[in-house]
Amino acid sequence: MKPKTISIALGALALAATAAVAASPARRAILDGYAAKAGAPPSVARGKAFFLGTHSGGKPDISSCTSCHTRDPHKAGRTRAGKSIEPMAVSVTPSRFTDAAKVEKWFGRNCKTVLGRACTAAEKADFIAFMAGQ
Amino acid sequence: MLDRQRTETVISAGLGEPATPARTLVWDRVVRGFHWLLVAAIAVAAVTGLVAGAPWIDAHVWAGTAAAALVAGRIVWGFFGSTHARFADFVISPSAVFAHLRALVAGRAQRHRGHNPLGAIMILALLATVGLIAVSGVVALGGTEKTGPLAFITTFATGAEARDVHEALAYILLGLIVLHVAGAMFESRRTREDLVRAMIDGRKEIRRGDHLSFMKTARPWLAGGIAAALVAVAMAAIATLSGRSGLGVPVAKLDPLYASECGACHAAYHPSLLPRKSWAVLTANLADHFGEDASLDAASTARIAAYLAANAAETADTLAANRLRRVDPAKPFAITATPFWRRRHGKIADAVFASKAVGSRGNCAACHADAASGRFYPGNIHIPAEAKP
Repeated sequence: MKPKTISIALGALALAATAAVAASPARRAILDGYAAKAGAPPSVARGKAFFLGTHSGGKPDISSCTSCHTRDPHKAGRTRAGKSIEPMAVSVTPSRFTDAAKVEKWFGRNCKTVLGRACTAAEKADFIAFMAGQ
Repeated sequence: MLDRQRTETVISAGLGEPATPARTLVWDRVVRGFHWLLVAAIAVAAVTGLVAGAPWIDAHVWAGTAAAALVAGRIVWGFFGSTHARFADFVISPSAVFAHLRALVAGRAQRHRGHNPLGAIMILALLATVGLIAVSGVVALGGTEKTGPLAFITTFATGAEARDVHEALAYILLGLIVLHVAGAMFESRRTREDLVRAMIDGRKEIRRGDHLSFMKTARPWLAGGIAAALVAVAMAAIATLSGRSGLGVPVAKLDPLYASECGACHAAYHPSLLPRKSWAVLTANLADHFGEDASLDAASTARIAAYLAANAAETADTLAANRLRRVDPAKPFAITATPFWRRRHGKIADAVFASKAVGSRGNCAACHADAASGRFYPGNIHIPAEAKP
């Protein structure tokens, strides 16, 4: 692929990401809230690395988001108890990140399980920014 | 004894009787049909009850129902059937039985074309045992599985006792069947006549010195009418009574908050599957819930805790509620750690639980179609084909 094609593709992707976030005012507000708290704009790349990465400090056999959500956000995940989890990608599950209480509840639970600590506002913003573009 | 028998045959042949004696109808079609259908029904019931395992319960219940219906029909035929079908032909006093026994030991017992006195006792014992097995089975089914005509009135404790009686009687029946077959083989040798063949074509030889019977004509229409009336009444009663809700079966719908919050990560386990104390421990420690953080806001936690306490195992009388109430003291909150759960799932390979179709030991609904209601009827167990190793 030529660099130009790549940049066009990336541009389209970014546009799509922005469109997805913009498509839901509630999600925009949640993302903006975390970004404001973090004091920095969210990063899709950091969000992706956070999602795919292996963390320490939490439960050893659930050391990554992908332990339950799988490496493909477009696919359904599965809890340890065998229950299906709706895909995290906003393009597949448009209701993702539109209920502030729900978002806080799940970040609260899962960050403690996977990282052994609460996530920072920046981590949350990055995560939502990444998923909004998926 | 055999020598004497042979001598008798030679003598009677010498008196001008044909060398192969004429055979006469002894067991009419109803008796023969009953006999072999009962053999089939008992065989199915024995295999499904003792060998095949719980998921075969429906076939077991059908086989048992068939056996009970056959016995009822045979009892009617015992009053209105042909000569040797009638109880009057073979039910005799105990003293007559002992007289036959003494004659048998002395080697001079008469030959009966119908049931001989010992055989008659066996027939009565078999009919009574099958009947009692059917009754105890219905009580067991009603009390432990909360299904069938007695479910509305039978406690789990009564059902569990009936189940033990049912099982003991089943083994007694197997013992009786062995004795019955042995008796038929013995009598076949003693009288030099194949009694199994007689139960197939219904005919036995006419011999001199046979014990005589009062000849009776069968009344098939009367017997059929009575049997049809019995079937109609029984079916109506079973249908009506089975429609009533089982005693101690939970009827309350799952609390929507409980279903959505707890059901997000795992099956919303029916509250009747753990005792109050276990639910209290669970709801008080949501921040460390089987190694994961499952904390909820205080109001939701309180509401869910109240719902679980109000609908815990102590409030239900199902098999699951009764058995899972006894938790593992080391893990009082884990259903899969209870002695009952482990015993019942002991034969299932780890690979089945790990398979994609099941995923975990806590995914009851993967195999139990009625897990959500807390019923767990054995007939609703279907291990997914793709989960089998």
